Amino acid sequence: MKQRAAGDTGGADAGRPIAPALEARLSVAVGRPGSAFAVEAELALDRGVLVLFGPSGAGKSLTLQALAGLLRPLRGCVRVSGQTLYDSERAIWVPVHRRRVGYVPQHHSLFPFRDVAANVAFGLPRAERRRDSPRVRALLEELGLAQLADARPDALSGGERQRVALARALVVQPRLLLLDEPFASIDQEGRALLRHTLRETLDRHGIPAVFVTHDPDEALALGDRLVRFERGHTTLAGAPGSLLRRGHPVVVAGQAAGPARALEGGRAEIALSAATVEAPAELLEPGEGGQVRLDLRTRPREK
Amino acid sequence: MTGSQTFPIVLSLRVALTALLVVAPIGIALAWLQARRRYPGRGLVDAVVLLPLVLPPSVVGFFLVVVFGRFGVIGRWLYAAFGLRLGFTPTAAVIASCVVALPILVKTAQPALEGVPPELEKVGRSLGLAPLALFFRVTLPAAWRGVAAALVLAFARAIGEFGATLMFAGNIPGRTNTMPLEIFAAYQAGDDRRALLYVSVLSAISGVVVLVAARLTPREVPA
Repeated sequence: MKQRAAGDTGGADAGRPIAPALEARLSVAVGRPGSAFAVEAELALDRGVLVLFGPSGAGKSLTLQALAGLLRPLRGCVRVSGQTLYDSERAIWVPVHRRRVGYVPQHHSLFPFRDVAANVAFGLPRAERRRDSPRVRALLEELGLAQLADARPDALSGGERQRVALARALVVQPRLLLLDEPFASIDQEGRALLRHTLRETLDRHGIPAVFVTHDPDEALALGDRLVRFERGHTTLAGAPGSLLRRGHPVVVAGQAAGPARALEGGRAEIALSAATVEAPAELLEPGEGGQVRLDLRTRPREK
Repeated sequence: MTGSQTFPIVLSLRVALTALLVVAPIGIALAWLQARRRYPGRGLVDAVVLLPLVLPPSVVGFFLVVVFGRFGVIGRWLYAAFGLRLGFTPTAAVIASCVVALPILVKTAQPALEGVPPELEKVGRSLGLAPLALFFRVTLPAAWRGVAAALVLAFARAIGEFGATLMFAGNIPGRTNTMPLEIFAAYQAGDDRRALLYVSVLSAISGVVVLVAARLTPREVPA
């Protein structure tokens, strides 16, 4: 963008191997000394999407903010596409506004005093900052927001808001995009769609991303790589599929050996003959006396 | 209306508007500082800003004389260096108005700035805004209603200033007789009709201020 930060190699150098999208080693602490919450994190991503996964309070968001430069770590280093944004030993600290690192939060992601197009144009340099600039229009089009260009943020659905936030982050062509549980307050179906849109858009623009979530489905659907956080530490790293178990359906099929018999509490029981059960192998290992017992649970849902 | 009748009205408006121009950047900067920064001595700054609200106006006026008067701490130096005499001038009335308007400005603008979601500022910074640009393009637009209400109230406080002005600027007809001073002088002289003129003008201004401030009461910032 406007200013170039320390150690910038000036874009992709043809002769060199491409630097990894992100390498970071961070010690972050917040709060007063003594009662401070501290996080130690080690992150690496060649390209694609890195998922920071773990329960709330594990330090995922804090790590994300440190990557963005929104808070200053105690020590460590952050390198994005080969450029050092922070290195405590070499005393390098690039301030947030010069990092070209995008940020999408869960709440309050849009400027309420600007309409959709103006929100998207917000980060452009003054000369290009127009609601009808070609880049703004192209991104609105790409994310299916063209009809909403004049809408105010408070008139949008949660999913629309986050798509606008994504467009606004991408319009300035960031080196890296940071997303802090951006879909957490959106319903299940909307989330699945947004995931898909996000993944496609990132791939199309070739922008690497770090995505914070505590939802395993989301982690599996989006991540090329996953880092697990627990109580202020990164504990595991690897491919999401190797660290998280994908949910699989369990299918029970057979011949009804009679009518269903009603039980208490709206439940019923049916006897099956020649029944088969299809499920992940480890669920079907017979226990004592060759008995197979599956305890299946339906998800809570509305009646 | 004769010139001597309109003079206090024009003078009061000029004094209050000048005071507002001077105190607005200082007050908004202080409100932002108190809303967004934690630093040693923050509580002390809070107390000093609030002081003019608690102190009797005559005490504020006395302090102003001690500081800015001809033989005051700063006043003496201003006179020696520039030949400036502040006491008993319209400038003195402006200074007095500034001092009493500051607390209400800071204390009304501060919660408005505190109410701006930090996420908005984080997003703004990530989009390349340096601190000053961030304030003018994100924080202030998000808090403008509350800040505008604070300015309106500060103006009302400035135009109604009496005690400290009397001590520091005096009540010199045709020079420092602002409306509040003129009301007192006319009433003492038994000229109730003259007093009533300024009472009406000040009441009207106050009525407008209350209405405008109510309309500006900050709304919830939507997500």
